[in-house]
Amino acid sequence: MILLVWFMSTFGFQTEGLDTLSLKEVEVIAPAYQRFGQGQKAIAWTSKDIQEFNSRTLSDLLQETSPISVRQYGPGMLSSPSFRGTSAGHTALFWNGLPINSPSLGQSDLSLIPILAIDQADLQFGSSGALIGNESIGGSIQLRSNAKFSQKPQLLFSQEFGSFGTYNTRIKAGFSTEKLAFQTKAYRLFTQNNYRFEDLSKSGTPTVEQDHGRVNQYGIVQDLSWKIKENQLLNSSFWFNKANREIQSPMGSNTRDLQEDESWKWSLDYEIFRQKSAWLFKTGLVKDHLIFNGSLSKTRQLFLGAEWDYSTETKWKFHAGTRFSFIKGDLSTYSATDQRIEFFESIQFQANEKLIFSFNGRHLVYLDVFKPLIPSLGLDWKIKENEAHTLTFKASGSMGFKVPTLNDRFWEPGGNPDLLPEESWNAESGLHWQFKKIEQSLTGYWMDVDNWIIWLPNGSIWSPQNIRKVRSEGIEYQGKAKFQTGKILWTPNWQYSFNRAVSLQGISEIDPSLGKQLPYTPQHQATMRIGGKLNSFSISLAGDYTGKRSVTADNPRTMDPFTLWNTSLSYEGFSIGKIKIPMQFRIQNLFDTNYQVLYLRPMPGRSYHFNLSIQL
Amino acid sequence: MKFRLLQFSKAFALIFILFACTENDPEIPLGEFDSGILIMNEGSFGSNDGEVYHLNSTTDELKANIFEEANARPFAGLLQDMVLENDRLYLVANTGKVEVVNPGDFTSLGSVTADLDQPRSLTVNSGKLFISDYGPYDASYATPESYIAVVNNTLGGEVSTKIAVSRKPEDLISYGKYVLVAGSEEGKVEVIDAEKSELIETIEVEGSPSRFFEADGKIYLFSPNGDELILYSFHLDNFTLATTTHYPISNATGKFAIDENGVMYILTSSGWPDYQDGIALLDIFGSAIDPTWYEGSGFYGIGYDPVLDEIYVTNSNGFQGNGTVTVLDEDGVEKRSFEVGRGPSGFMFR
Repeated sequence: MILLVWFMSTFGFQTEGLDTLSLKEVEVIAPAYQRFGQGQKAIAWTSKDIQEFNSRTLSDLLQETSPISVRQYGPGMLSSPSFRGTSAGHTALFWNGLPINSPSLGQSDLSLIPILAIDQADLQFGSSGALIGNESIGGSIQLRSNAKFSQKPQLLFSQEFGSFGTYNTRIKAGFSTEKLAFQTKAYRLFTQNNYRFEDLSKSGTPTVEQDHGRVNQYGIVQDLSWKIKENQLLNSSFWFNKANREIQSPMGSNTRDLQEDESWKWSLDYEIFRQKSAWLFKTGLVKDHLIFNGSLSKTRQLFLGAEWDYSTETKWKFHAGTRFSFIKGDLSTYSATDQRIEFFESIQFQANEKLIFSFNGRHLVYLDVFKPLIPSLGLDWKIKENEAHTLTFKASGSMGFKVPTLNDRFWEPGGNPDLLPEESWNAESGLHWQFKKIEQSLTGYWMDVDNWIIWLPNGSIWSPQNIRKVRSEGIEYQGKAKFQTGKILWTPNWQYSFNRAVSLQGISEIDPSLGKQLPYTPQHQATMRIGGKLNSFSISLAGDYTGKRSVTADNPRTMDPFTLWNTSLSYEGFSIGKIKIPMQFRIQNLFDTNYQVLYLRPMPGRSYHFNLSIQL
Repeated sequence: MKFRLLQFSKAFALIFILFACTENDPEIPLGEFDSGILIMNEGSFGSNDGEVYHLNSTTDELKANIFEEANARPFAGLLQDMVLENDRLYLVANTGKVEVVNPGDFTSLGSVTADLDQPRSLTVNSGKLFISDYGPYDASYATPESYIAVVNNTLGGEVSTKIAVSRKPEDLISYGKYVLVAGSEEGKVEVIDAEKSELIETIEVEGSPSRFFEADGKIYLFSPNGDELILYSFHLDNFTLATTTHYPISNATGKFAIDENGVMYILTSSGWPDYQDGIALLDIFGSAIDPTWYEGSGFYGIGYDPVLDEIYVTNSNGFQGNGTVTVLDEDGVEKRSFEVGRGPSGFMFR
């Protein structure tokens, strides 16, 4: 890779046409995963797309609008994503290009990420160790801030009242000139969570009130963009988040656990644009404190990186970079550090207007382990393109990996420093068809995950081992459309996914889980959403279906499928002078469905939410 | 799980009286689960999927989840202990409840669902339930507030009082109006006056007292102590130590089975990091002792079938799914194995 950089620097390829996002006369390089991710399924949400979820969390957004399975321990409780049958730790989560999964746990809690705190979200499906990096075995989630230049001053205050003692407050303020942009967001999400549920653990299964599920979360986000010169841009974001939660116990348990999460995140990007190339220097800090029943766990991550982009006039694009990560964990049973150095490169070749190939590679060193090459290859081929139709074929092959977490390696007692990284091989192909205002895509995938780490009891001590091998395969279909009836503009979208994720290798040759669907992994999932807009009125109806899941790896107990429906009515036409007062009324779980995502973890029934905003 | 020889004696006496005196009275039909083998499956932490399976010894029919089948609701707890006393079966969940069921058909008779933290075992005395409980964890995962919860109704209900005891109480046994408590972490046997619900005596012992058992008309205490196993017996008139016997059996867990002749089959585990499980054999009235009678890994529970003289040993299969039971003869030869519930940890042979 170093040779490659040297070669291109020495011979000075002249390039044009770096993929850019236009941002009022300022060029911002689109992230590499968007430019070099040919052949892999991706979903991109803009700020407008996620606006309806502004008073909610990433957990709700993914559950209701994506093919990802979200494993939720209760409303506002731990919530983790599962892409294509993989576990929560097989999803990489990035904020402004920084990996923010906890280095001790190797995963993130989606309930702790309010949608207000971000401006854009992207999902990449399948293994992408080369392009994304560590932990992107099942997929990855990219969250980004975006302070805009040359905007009118903006001030938004929003208050939501909801069932079960829910009060969400949001403030957003923005100010910008041609060269400087500020954006400040503050939020408080509070719910008493005192919903009623049927307690299956008690005689007569009485309906009782949840009395230990209060969530009080608040935080502030500060984004700054500064156009230092015509070709230089500085972006910096800071995000503080704190949550105090009463941890809901499963039915039949009397625990009254308390958890406090605090996190500080800071990112700084310095971008230099030249005529044919661009540089990005990146640094950032992620600091997490988790206090569980008074026991404190602290982790810190410091990142330093540089990336370079280069394009020839027509056919070739190059991307190369490096990242150094310094990780420190001080937990209740151990203290440990980890350093990682990564080098990565991407090459894109556009054979003609219809055919694009890409190759990505990553090279990683952590402690005394060296991963010489994590590769991926992909192509996009526009089979047909005319005014009415666009039909694109995509195909890719890629590898993913996950470095064992700090807990996996250093937990005392039981940590296993000899663990190997988990590895995956992924192949997928798909078709994307656009016909006028209808878009549909169909993706088929196949993935093997090896060295899957599971914790097993060694007497009374649990210890992680590279045990399981899993094969995941399936299809994902999605579509969206736009049409008008009279003055009403309708925007429906829909998706269905089938996943078969089974163990090929277990704890023994006669492990009863062999060949069976992984626990809490539905084979069938579907979502449907239709929005309608008439003048200042908007209406939406959304349903998501989650199929049958098993509780354990050998599938003796399964949980019933469930479908949840949500609806909302918004009005944005009310104003007093220059002050706009948009409002929204929303019903979640419209048909009061009694359901559990995880065994014996009760979920709330129908709830009502009213949101009133004041916008200057 | 408890084997109460004294109670068995009472039961046999009762059966004898019934046969002797009620020749013309209709017989009380036995329930489906009054015979055969009850298999206790602890369940997995966080899932609360503990349950009881039943094996019909005559037909070899295995019935899963018999609590859920009988009551149309899941057990919803981690099943720590099963105690049969006074023709009631108490299912103790260490997640904070006790279910009382009819042992014949497993229909619910009552429960204790509030004011418990981590119940471990139970005994009935003086018309009350005495429930050993670790108490809540503190920030260091210690349990400084362990207690014995007292419920003034043998069918369950509210906890009336809590008697503070040493950390991590495990097994309980009744003798007359007294309850003996095995205090596992501090090496104590505490004696409670059941009528007054008061702690009246503390006996210091070595090791980690885990279970009481009755043999030859005496109450013994099983107390593993690292490289050795200690068995204590007591003077029950003044609650002092009677005998203390040390055996060279290392890494004994708190789980064992005992046959009618006093031969114990003891689960051993070297634990982390040199993980090796086994079964040690110990004849407490003879000289036989074999610390490595049977070896393997993943052992989680053990039982002894007095009818067929077989040893039942369970494997948790790492709690990834259901566990298995392996049946051994008295020479340690494997006879058969079958799948049961999640985390099988003990048996009750009826």
